[in-house]
Amino acid sequence: MNVQVPLTAQDFKSDVKPIWCPGCGDYAVLSAITKALAELDTPREKIAFISGIGCSSRIPAYTNLYGFHGVHGRALPIAAGVKLARPDLTVIVAGGDGDGLSIGGNHFLHACRRNVDMTYVIMDNEVYGMTKGQASPTTSPDWCKSKLTPEGTGISPVEPIRLALAAGANFIARGFAGNPAEVARLIVEGIAHPGFSFIQILSPCVTYRPEEREWKQAVHASETEPAQIMAEAMHRLAADDGFTTGVLFAGNRAPFMPARDVKTTIADIERKFAS
Amino acid sequence: MAAYSVSVALTGSGGAGSMTAGQILLDSASKAGFYGLMTRSMGPQIRGGEAAALVRISSTPISSLDDHYDLLIAFDWGNISRFAAELPLSTDSLILCDPAQGPVPDSIATYGARVAPLALKALSERVHGGRGNMIGLGAVAALIGLPIESVLHVLATQLGRKGEEVLAASTASVKVGAEAATLLPPMPKLPEGNPHGASRWNISGNEAAGLGALKGGIKFVAAYPITPATEVLEWLAPALEKTGGALIQAEDELASINMVIGGAFAGLPSLTATSGPGLSLMTESIGLAVASETPLVVVDVMRGGPSTGIPTKSEQSDLNIAVYGLHGDAPHLVVAPNSSTDCLAATQWSVYLAEALQSPAIVLSDQAMGQSRVIIDKPAESPYVADRLVADADIDGYQRYALTESGISPMAIPGTPGSNYVADGLEHNERGTPSSQASDHLAQLDKRARKLQNFDYGDNWADVEGDGEIAVITWGSVTGPVREALDRARAKGIKAKLISLRLILPALPERMDAALAGVNKVLVVEQSHSQQFNKFLRGHYDLPADVSVFSRPGPLPIRPGEILTRLAVWE
Amino acid sequence: MSEVAIFLAHAVALEAEAAERYDELADAMEVHNNPEVAAMFRKQAHFSRLHLAEVQGTVKDVELPKLKPWEYQWQSAEGPESAPVERTHYLMTPYHCIHLALQNERRGHQYYADVAYKSQDPDVRRLATEFAAEESQHVVMLEKMAATVEEPEPDWDLDLDPPVVSD
Repeated sequence: MNVQVPLTAQDFKSDVKPIWCPGCGDYAVLSAITKALAELDTPREKIAFISGIGCSSRIPAYTNLYGFHGVHGRALPIAAGVKLARPDLTVIVAGGDGDGLSIGGNHFLHACRRNVDMTYVIMDNEVYGMTKGQASPTTSPDWCKSKLTPEGTGISPVEPIRLALAAGANFIARGFAGNPAEVARLIVEGIAHPGFSFIQILSPCVTYRPEEREWKQAVHASETEPAQIMAEAMHRLAADDGFTTGVLFAGNRAPFMPARDVKTTIADIERKFAS
Repeated sequence: MAAYSVSVALTGSGGAGSMTAGQILLDSASKAGFYGLMTRSMGPQIRGGEAAALVRISSTPISSLDDHYDLLIAFDWGNISRFAAELPLSTDSLILCDPAQGPVPDSIATYGARVAPLALKALSERVHGGRGNMIGLGAVAALIGLPIESVLHVLATQLGRKGEEVLAASTASVKVGAEAATLLPPMPKLPEGNPHGASRWNISGNEAAGLGALKGGIKFVAAYPITPATEVLEWLAPALEKTGGALIQAEDELASINMVIGGAFAGLPSLTATSGPGLSLMTESIGLAVASETPLVVVDVMRGGPSTGIPTKSEQSDLNIAVYGLHGDAPHLVVAPNSSTDCLAATQWSVYLAEALQSPAIVLSDQAMGQSRVIIDKPAESPYVADRLVADADIDGYQRYALTESGISPMAIPGTPGSNYVADGLEHNERGTPSSQASDHLAQLDKRARKLQNFDYGDNWADVEGDGEIAVITWGSVTGPVREALDRARAKGIKAKLISLRLILPALPERMDAALAGVNKVLVVEQSHSQQFNKFLRGHYDLPADVSVFSRPGPLPIRPGEILTRLAVWE
Repeated sequence: MSEVAIFLAHAVALEAEAAERYDELADAMEVHNNPEVAAMFRKQAHFSRLHLAEVQGTVKDVELPKLKPWEYQWQSAEGPESAPVERTHYLMTPYHCIHLALQNERRGHQYYADVAYKSQDPDVRRLATEFAAEESQHVVMLEKMAATVEEPEPDWDLDLDPPVVSD
């Protein structure tokens, strides 16, 4: 069934219904991702969609792509394995701020510096939803609605965009779930850009962070072309309020991909053991 | 097996060159037509620490250290007392040492062995650029009856690259050492060697595991360095690169196991290698491989534990974590090679099993066999290669986790049109959709257990050798000394059977029952403190009432004579 | 590409996206055991599809440009009749649902009215005026329906159980 008709966003959705709370920003991200995929010429079966654990990490099952819903925090290494094993596949990774920046934080750093050609979407709601609303690494220090940190965390949040830049990500963007069309554009550009593309999507949690509905008023589109030089991007992002949307950095580092040439046979290799 | 062999310990510190001398000794023995085995014992220092090369040379194949060393050559005494316990000597043994290095330390002198002086320093000064370790090597070769030509041949092959001068100095040193040996007390000599051409191999267990992986069809490896497993990965890196595969260095073991899951999901037979601490980090994701039915191989080269433990020394104490370390009911494969040589076949078989059964396989090697270098007959070709049951394109209503009779369901590989699915660590239904229903959970648990339990593992599940009412049940590298002890026992008229378990999981009670037919006494031999293997056996198998256990933790190797003593109790 | 074609592409997308969103919301309400509101959203999706069919009827002889999602010139982030996701709630009542739909239709009407007012192209002005009139009928219809639905008690979103933990 090699469909020649262009696929629509609906063609990328499965019949599994999301368990996300009505009002959750993740619905819009799902919609944006499927819209983005409809804009690509990539056959559905050549896309692998990888995630970890958390509300947003449920997303692969809501698409009809090849997917892997792994364990908490390890989506990026699974994705790297897929891409490094099968360079012909387009690899997309998605998950939450806790999954990607707390338990998976080390992988995030190394995924940025490894610069394997794939696209990582963090749906950032500044909270752990599936475990009933604890502070995540992006939660502000004075948010005290969690029973685990009733006085607030008291520690500075991670700023994922700046972290990605410092660690060497080759494409960095921020989007807002309330603007799925723009998010779709960012994803299309992220996939097209060689190397590791990181897209932070502000995705409100209406259950534990109802005040995040106000993000709609806070976001504002970037007024400049994407920075292409790290120093320039750092300068700009140092003053960023965390709500600038758009492509914020587009670098030109070559992606990492080991060469694969068959130069010899196993028989030749094992001959070296002859004493 | 009980044929004549010679064991030599070469010790020294601070760059004395004992490891190099030991390596050349082993290679020379191979050249002269002997079998052999060399293990290493080292202090924790990166450079300059105390080191012992422990070499055994034999006219028949061996996979065990002997009860004691016939010859100890000390290039210096350094901190030798740190591993004096690893250097057992008999009163017939000979100690060679340079009087200039001072008296024999008490920890060694206590063995009561003969001592002979060898003025390494003075002799080396007679040769331009002379080296004490090469003088010692020459003396050792002459003393044990190893043809000096074979040593010179190996020197020419290995040092030729370093230039004429180095080669000439080493050659002269070896000759001076051999000459000096004529003045030393005699010791039993090796019989004639059997030069063999290219039919023998010189390989370490870790290299063998790497080769087994490659021959089994591994194409993708993710690696994080850890002692004593690193050589598996270091050997695989260039080998994969040259044969169209890839090895990636990961940021940690959490990443390496998950990269391997990704590679396997994407269709390539995939593997990683680690040791205890790394295996601990990997266990959550090995469980993911169980639940998502992703084939992969983890080679665990065991070292002393718990925690950082004793990284450079061997122990069979990861059995529990390999068998029971996964949370939930998580049937998986655990395969244990039982010699350096078997690291090849067992790893290759594990790749085959993992792929055929879409299951993670843990290969339990250990430092003793992994880092031993052996001279062996060229291993026979094994038929086992990765062969995964894959799904066709465009399957209407494709069910990744379909409940088949065998429990194995065709796996769609990304790129296959129309058979997409989402692999999941959440319990799922046949299609792969997350489900917490009792019926789905039970059906999938049954399926995952069934596919392992019903598979035909053939005769590889264990090495069962000999007959008798006594059986020694063992596993892993301890099999070498057990085998040798049983050979000696038979020579004394004690009839006993060897059962060395290669397939640890799944347990095959029917096969064990058959192997134990007629047996009424069992000796379990293992290298752990808490009798992990004995408890494993009792949990999975019916043993006769009369069971005795010889279990000792590392780092001291279990030696044939100790096992023989325990068997003799029953005589 | 003519201005009419671009306008009609917007009109098609407006209804198609509205229908898609209503279906998503209906699905979400079904998953969250709010069948009454789910059925209402499903009905709204149905109406949006009927409107879509009408627009497509108008369009059938025109070759529409294939715009990328971010190339549509809406006045806000999404198509005017796409229900804002963040305005939904699992315990929402028919009252909320009907008012949400009403606001969507009002935005739809506003959109067409604006285009009719601003466009320089007479064909676009004619069509936009026609569509705006159509939308105002929808608004009136929904206003009538809304008048029949009682406002819920202030504690309509009270949940006697705490949220659950999942993965």
